[in-house]
Amino acid sequence: MQPASRPDPDPVVEAYKRDIDRSLLRENLKLTVEERFRKAMALARFAEEMRRAGREARPRRP
Amino acid sequence: MTDFAAILSTLGRHEVAYIVVGGAAAIAHGSARLTQDLDIVYERSRANLDRLVAALAEHEPYLRGVPPGLPFVWDRTTLSRGMNFTLTTTLGDIKLLGEIAGGGSYHDLMAGAAELRVFGTRCLSLSLPQLIRAKRASGRPKDLETVAELEAIEEESS
Repeated sequence: MQPASRPDPDPVVEAYKRDIDRSLLRENLKLTVEERFRKAMALARFAEEMRRAGREARPRRP
Repeated sequence: MTDFAAILSTLGRHEVAYIVVGGAAAIAHGSARLTQDLDIVYERSRANLDRLVAALAEHEPYLRGVPPGLPFVWDRTTLSRGMNFTLTTTLGDIKLLGEIAGGGSYHDLMAGAAELRVFGTRCLSLSLPQLIRAKRASGRPKDLETVAELEAIEEESS
């Protein structure tokens, strides 16, 4: 449902909205604010680790 | 990695007056998007600049993306001569903003802000409507994508 206070829909925003995974948002909304931050930090740690692994990756030899 | 818990606790311990904005505020409201740094709008009174300087002093603040060794002095005079500072610290990256598009200064934003109780401290964050207004006002394409997610959060919450 669209809040009444919202200005006219922006077609670009509405287009982006179609691709949003709302199940992720619903799961986040079940968390406390602190849990949301902790989850974000855990994801950032994971992303950093993957970047490190990507930098160090070598092609596999047959 | 930016340690949100440590930075927010540090700012709280030093009683810095600030409002969380940007990606971290979006996370507080339920965003699933990752952010690399903490953006805050800080109050620019002399006393608050002193508190902010004291809070970050021991965490080696330095201008992000600037070659090391340049004469950057972290003190009230530096803060009072500028408005926005993009910093790296030992706790992670933080952006200090004197004001933001679509919202204004700390005093403009304060009344509509949301209070967060997090990591043993209290702080202000942009409310979801304020955040949407600010992201719309910035006008960057990537922010329209964020607006879409924030509006979806608003719809899921209502």
